[in-house]
Amino acid sequence: MRINRITAFLVALLLFAATGYAQQQQQSTMTISGTTYTKWLWGNQRFDGSLYNFTNVPGEGWGDNGQGTEIELLVAAKPNRFLEVSGRIHSRFSQNFWTNFGGFGGTDGTCSDPNGGGDCGEFDPRSNQYVKLRGMTVRVTPGWKYMDAITFGSSDLGMFDAFTMGKIRYIDRDNLGVLLAQGSLAPNVRYDAIRISLPRLWAGPNFATGEFTSADSAYGVQLRYTGPVIDVTGIADQVSDVEIDTGDIIDDDGRKLTQRYRNQVVGIKADWHPAGPYAVRGALYRSSSDPNLRMADVPDNFGLNGYSPVIADDVNDEAIKLNVDVNDPFGNGFSVNGEYFSIGANYTSILAARRESDVLLTEGHDGTWAYPGPSNGAYGVFGGNPSRIGYSGWQGNMQQVATINVDNEFTDFDEPAAETVIGWKGFTITPRWQRDTLEIAGEYTHIDYDTNWQAWGDPSRGIENTIYPAAEIANIGVGNPYRSAYAPFQEKETDIALVRARYTLNVGKGVDLYGKLKTIQETDLRLNDERFLPYAAGDCPGNGQACGGVQNFYSPGNSTAAIYGNPGVITVGGVTGYQWAPFDDISDDDRELDYTMLQVGAGYQLTDIIYGSFTYEHYDADLQDGNTAFQAYRLHEMASGQHDKNKMIFLLRFPIGGAEAGFNYEYTFGSFEPDFGDGFVPQVASEEVARNVGVPVGSLGFAGRFGGWNSLETRDFEHHHLKAYFKVRF
Amino acid sequence: MRKFLCALSLSLVAASAFAQTVSFKDPAGDDDGPGTYTYPTDAVYARGSFDLTGFTLKVNGAKTDVSVTFNSNLADPWSMGSGFATQMVFVFIDKDHKTGSGYTKAFSGLNVEFAPESAWEKAIILSPQQPARVKTEVEQKAADLQKDVIIPARTRGAGRTVTASIDTAALGEGDPATWAYQVVVQSNEGFPSGTDLLTRKVNEYEGQHRFGGGNDGDCDPHAIDLLAGEGTGAKEEADLQHKMLAYECAADGSVKKLAVISTVHAKK
Repeated sequence: MRINRITAFLVALLLFAATGYAQQQQQSTMTISGTTYTKWLWGNQRFDGSLYNFTNVPGEGWGDNGQGTEIELLVAAKPNRFLEVSGRIHSRFSQNFWTNFGGFGGTDGTCSDPNGGGDCGEFDPRSNQYVKLRGMTVRVTPGWKYMDAITFGSSDLGMFDAFTMGKIRYIDRDNLGVLLAQGSLAPNVRYDAIRISLPRLWAGPNFATGEFTSADSAYGVQLRYTGPVIDVTGIADQVSDVEIDTGDIIDDDGRKLTQRYRNQVVGIKADWHPAGPYAVRGALYRSSSDPNLRMADVPDNFGLNGYSPVIADDVNDEAIKLNVDVNDPFGNGFSVNGEYFSIGANYTSILAARRESDVLLTEGHDGTWAYPGPSNGAYGVFGGNPSRIGYSGWQGNMQQVATINVDNEFTDFDEPAAETVIGWKGFTITPRWQRDTLEIAGEYTHIDYDTNWQAWGDPSRGIENTIYPAAEIANIGVGNPYRSAYAPFQEKETDIALVRARYTLNVGKGVDLYGKLKTIQETDLRLNDERFLPYAAGDCPGNGQACGGVQNFYSPGNSTAAIYGNPGVITVGGVTGYQWAPFDDISDDDRELDYTMLQVGAGYQLTDIIYGSFTYEHYDADLQDGNTAFQAYRLHEMASGQHDKNKMIFLLRFPIGGAEAGFNYEYTFGSFEPDFGDGFVPQVASEEVARNVGVPVGSLGFAGRFGGWNSLETRDFEHHHLKAYFKVRF
Repeated sequence: MRKFLCALSLSLVAASAFAQTVSFKDPAGDDDGPGTYTYPTDAVYARGSFDLTGFTLKVNGAKTDVSVTFNSNLADPWSMGSGFATQMVFVFIDKDHKTGSGYTKAFSGLNVEFAPESAWEKAIILSPQQPARVKTEVEQKAADLQKDVIIPARTRGAGRTVTASIDTAALGEGDPATWAYQVVVQSNEGFPSGTDLLTRKVNEYEGQHRFGGGNDGDCDPHAIDLLAGEGTGAKEEADLQHKMLAYECAADGSVKKLAVISTVHAKK
C-alpha cells in the first residue's frame, strides 16, 4: 500500500511539473524521421512461417524464406527546454511477406498453422501488415537541485545493470513502460530511481504475471559514486506480481491483494582504477525469489523438463564477479584480463538481461550448437519437431546472460545468441598482444558448476518432481541448450581454450586476415552414485531374457526407474535382445566432449563502398553423450558420435547514400556419425516412422521409451541460409 | 602463394625499415570537455570510454598506422564489427603552422573552431562505422573539407586502443615529426542529428544517449576530450583543456563565443 501511495505522489508530481512547464512553452521543435528495413531470407529448409529464422513461441512461425518490409516512424519534439516528447510507430515483420499482397491473400482465416506462410488473412495482425504504437516517452528536465530528469513512458533499462534490471531486448525496447527519475545527490553521487510496469508476457512464474496484471510492478534504485580512483555503485530492485485476494469477497472496503510472485535483488559494484595499467572491478549480487506456490497458476514443482523463468520454491542465492585488467604494463602491447565468476544455481533476477548483454569475459559455447540434438532440433525424436534454425544454428559464439529467462526468439542465423550462465563457477584469463595492425589473443576458461548434484540436489523427492525448470534440460547435445541450467544429474566440468589472431596485410586497400582455433573439453558424469541406479543389480540378465523390473529406490518411493525404464525384449531379423540398453551402470549416461573449432577468413574493401569477407569454419566434435540407456532423457535426439561440420560464410556490406545494405550467405555441410554404444537390437524404420521423423524407410535406429526414434544412420547434411537486407534512414 | 609471401615479407620489412613515430599522451580523468561534461546514462558508455590517454602516428613506408588509446577497455555492444562501438575520434593535422593556411572550421557537430595559427591541413576520422558510411556523411555534411579528409579503409579496436592504417601518401608531403596534431574524442552516433557528422549531442542534462553538462543548443563544444599543452599527459593539461574549450551561449542557445582549440606540436 505504501508503494502505491508513493507512486500516486510521483505521478501527481509529474503531472504538476509537466503542466507548469507546459505553460512556459517557448518555440517548439518537432522532427519526424524514420527507417525502413527490408529483409530477404532464403534457405533450403523451405520454412515460411515468419521472416525470422527461429522462435520457440507457441503459435508463432519461423522460416528461412520470404521477403518483407518494416517501417518505423520516429516523432520527436522539444516544446521547450524543460520537455521532450518522442514516440515511435512501427510495423512488424512476423508473417508480413510481400507475397501476402497486403494481407488479402489469406485463405485460412484461423491462422491455425503458424507456418502457413502468411496465410492468416486480412484480419490477423501477423499477416496484414499492421502498424502499432511501439513507444512513447516524455522527459521532463525541471531544473531542480536534486532531480535532473523525470521520464515516463518507454525505456529499455539501458542505464541499469545486466544482473538486476538488464537491458530490454531490441525488439522489445519500446514495449516496457516506466517512470524514471534521475539526478545528483552530491557532485559525484548520481541516482536512478525507477518504477517499472511489470511485463505480463514473461516476468513471472510460467512466463506470466497472473490474472490481475495492471498493478504489477518493479521498483529499482541505483546509486553511483564516481571518484578519481574508485567508483562504487549500489543497486536494488523489487519485483511485485500481485493478484486480487479471492478470499476477500466483500468489496465494500475495497479488495485486498495477495502476492503471486516477489523477487528482490541487491547488488554492489566497485571499480578501482588507479592511474597506470591496472584496474580491478568487483560485483556482488544477492537475490531472493518467492513465488506463491498456493496459487493454481504458479507451479510448485516441475517434471523432467519444466518451463518457467522461476524456480518453484522460495530461494536465495548470490552472483559474484571479480575482474582484473592489466593493460600494456611493459609498453610492448601485451595485456591480460582475468575474471573470477560464481553465479549461484538459485540466483534469480526476473528482470536481468535476457539477451542484449554479455556478462562474462569468456566466449562460452558456439552458436552453431545452441540447441539439443545434432541439428539444433529439440524433441526431434518425435514427429512434428523439425530443426527450426537448422544445422547452421547461430553464427559466432554465444553471449552470456545471468538468467534462465533467456530469449533468442525471433532471431536470424546471423545474429548473436545468448546462453544462460546460471550455476557457472570458474575463471577466465585472456592474454592479448597487439602491435600495429596485428592482434593475437587467447582465452583459457575453467568452469565448474553450482548445479552439480544428484537427483536435482534433493533425493527426498521424485526424479520427476523438482523445483527446477530445466526447459530442454542442460547438457544435451554438443553445446548446451541455451536456456537450460538444470539437469537431474550433473557432475560436470568445462575447459575452454582458444587462440585467435587478426592482421591487416598492407596490400592494396589492406587485406584483413583473421583466424581462430578453439577447443572445448567437457566431462559430465551425470548419475554418479549407484544408489540412484533405476533397478536392482542384475535386473536385466541379457541373452534375450526379460528384465525383472525390480526397482531400486534412492529414497522411500522414489526411483530413477521413472525415467530410465527397462527395455522390452524384441526380435528383429532373427536377433533377439533388448530394445535399448538397460540402465545398469553409472557410466551409461556419461558425457565426454572433445571439441575443436578452426576458423580462417579474409576481408577486403572491394570497392569504395563494398566490403566483403569470406570465412571458413570447421567444427570437429567427438561426443559421448550417454548410450541408448540414457536416450537424451528420452526426449531429444541423441548426439553421441562424431560430428563434422563446416561453414562457409560470405558477407557483403555496402552503404548507399543514407541507406545500408548487407548480404550474408552461409553454406553449412558435414556429417554426423552416431555412436550410441551396444547392448540393444537395432530396429528398422517403418514407413510411418520414416514419415514422422524424416529418416529413410528401412534405415536402422531404435524406438525409445516414449516411442521416439533415434536413427543409427550417418547423417550427411547440407543447409543453406541467406539473408539480405536494405535499411534506409529518412 | 609466392606473391603472397613476397607481399607479406615486403610489408614486414617496410614496417621495420621506415618506421617514424610521433606520440602524445593525455592525462586520465579529463573526459569532461570544458570541465563540466558528464557521460550519457546508458551502461554502454563505460567509465573512461572517452578518456583519451594516448595518440601515436607511425609511418611505415607506404602505410601509416594511427592509434588512439583510451582509459577503458573497448567493447562492441552494438555489434559494429570493428571491435569498438561508442567512440569516434577526429585527428587534425596542422602541417605548416601558418596563419591563413588550412582550415579553421571543424566538422559539424563538434562545435569548435581552430585558432588561426593552428589551422589544419589534413584530418583523419576513426569511426566504428563502415568507411563508406563515414565517407557518405563527409560528402553530405563536410563537402568543403572532403578533399583533405582521410577515412581509413579499416579501423579496429582491441584492448584499449583503436588503430587504423592509412596510405602515407594521403598525408601529403612533409615530415610528420614537425607537424602539430589535435585529437578530438567524440562518441559514435549512428543516428546523428541534422548536420552533425556522426557525433553525439551534449545537452544541459545527460540523457540515456546524450552527454550532459553543456547546453541544449549548439553553442557548446561537443568535444569530450582532446590533447592540450604539450601532450605529455601532465595533470595541468586537463586545466588547459578546460580553458581551451571555454564557450559562451546566448539565452536562446545560440553561439556567443565558440570554443577555439589549438594543435599540439610533436616533439622531435
